[in-house]
Amino acid sequence: MPILSKRFSIKARDYLRAGEVAIEVKSILKTIGFDAELIRRVSICAYEAEINAVMHGGDGTLHLFVNTSAVGLVVRDSGPGIENIELAMKEGYSTASEEAREMGFGAGMGLPNIKKNSDSLKIDSEKGKGTLLAISFDLKAG
Amino acid sequence: MDKGLCTGCTLCIKACPTKAIRVRDGKATRVGDRCVDCGECIRVCPKGAIKAVTTWSGEAELSPYSVVGASPVLYAQFGSEVMPNDVLIALRKIFNYVYDQAYAHELYNAVTELYIKGSRGKEEAVWPMISPVCPVVNRLIAMRFPSLLKHVLPFIPPREFAARQMRKRFQQKKIFGDQEAVVYHVSPCAAKMISIQAPMFTEKSYLSGAVGINEIYDLVGKHLGEEDEDLILHVSSGVGIGWGMSGGEIAGLDDVTALAVSGMQETIRYLEKLEMGLFRNIEYFEFRFCPEGCIGGPLTVADKYQAKGILQKFGDMFGQGKRVRRSQVQRAYQEGWFLRETKPIGRVKEEKRLPIAEAIARQDRIESILRKLPGKECGQCGSPDCRTFAEDVADGVMMPESCYLLRFSAV
Repeated sequence: MPILSKRFSIKARDYLRAGEVAIEVKSILKTIGFDAELIRRVSICAYEAEINAVMHGGDGTLHLFVNTSAVGLVVRDSGPGIENIELAMKEGYSTASEEAREMGFGAGMGLPNIKKNSDSLKIDSEKGKGTLLAISFDLKAG
Repeated sequence: MDKGLCTGCTLCIKACPTKAIRVRDGKATRVGDRCVDCGECIRVCPKGAIKAVTTWSGEAELSPYSVVGASPVLYAQFGSEVMPNDVLIALRKIFNYVYDQAYAHELYNAVTELYIKGSRGKEEAVWPMISPVCPVVNRLIAMRFPSLLKHVLPFIPPREFAARQMRKRFQQKKIFGDQEAVVYHVSPCAAKMISIQAPMFTEKSYLSGAVGINEIYDLVGKHLGEEDEDLILHVSSGVGIGWGMSGGEIAGLDDVTALAVSGMQETIRYLEKLEMGLFRNIEYFEFRFCPEGCIGGPLTVADKYQAKGILQKFGDMFGQGKRVRRSQVQRAYQEGWFLRETKPIGRVKEEKRLPIAEAIARQDRIESILRKLPGKECGQCGSPDCRTFAEDVADGVMMPESCYLLRFSAV
């Protein structure tokens, strides 16, 4: 089974380039020829995860996996970690810095948006140990 | 493209936003069906080897039934002492009839306002809406962002609307007897001709041809020097004229949350963001592919910043209120005068769509070729960048040995 795997690095606090990784992910999925709705869902999740890593992370990586049954995103950062995951999943809850908010980010919609647009979301995070998000999208047969 | 003038320098292949040009056998060549007629290659070519297609073949060739409307960019080409009315009078000496297209912009603004306000709270409305005015942006969306086609405001562009109204009036009043009017559009834009030949929103364009501002500049200038005539042809306010620059269109939209974006890189960047579902809180996006808007078009003569200054001065001079009759606008809106006639269709990519498994395998091949390439983006292979070269190799169009740096490092 053909598998595509590609790794991107994300730089913490680089607000100017924030979103570029998501755009690249989108462009790869478009070249493969997935339908527009799936591409929109994957790229919005990639975008939100990327922004989270930029805002809170130390540096991080985004891994894109594609095979014939699913698209997956694994996003790692070496940031401060999430103290209370349940709270972080609430819309509008944000621990973003003043700096991030000034740049127009940090509205507390990131994780809820990823949850809403993906088929599965696993979060592995502990305070002080960074965060790992595993996001996947099912490909319908045909 | 003039092969004789082309030196194969690679500037155009790098400038092209849809990667539609390659250098093959030392000459720039268009590949596939991806060109969106933006004119970036015309702008960057140091030899003038690439020219826009227009209909102008000199004054002597003009039909005796010629009618003309001009982009307000033309009004800003002759310095700040020349008024829009002077330019229109000069045009009147070349063509049989002339109309002030900027007035159609104001009507258009008023109807767009009604449409947006009427769509608020409706479930089927798609936000943000995208201006259908720039023909390059329309084509770029169809080519690279087809999922955004449903965001494009379902109106025909004002230049087409104005031409249709003129045709109607000429017919009703039998101004040319039974002869049909030949309607020209004077434009700063390399894509107007293609938007006339293959319109995206109408069955058939209401315009007969496009004339580049640079083609007619000297002729208009010559007539400007002649004795003044007592004739008022200029009817628009600063709103319609302001459309020549970025932000001009949305400046005419009252009580609408709108953003204006211009220039190739910014336009593409924001279309990418819209495609990801960002900016849902914005109601309307004005996109202009050329930097600073139409005043930055490839077929202009005057410096774009000087032209901007002149348009801003006209804005002060002629005021910021739309000179349209509300009742007329209401009627036009209710009767659907502005609604487009056909659905815009995304262009099918020239590469046939592969089954998903094959497409993933191809993408994997591209990525592994890309990893071996030097990544210097030099363009010496004739492809615009390493990724496109990798695609060309994966598809068997190019051999890996065409990469100079790869060959050099192997030696």
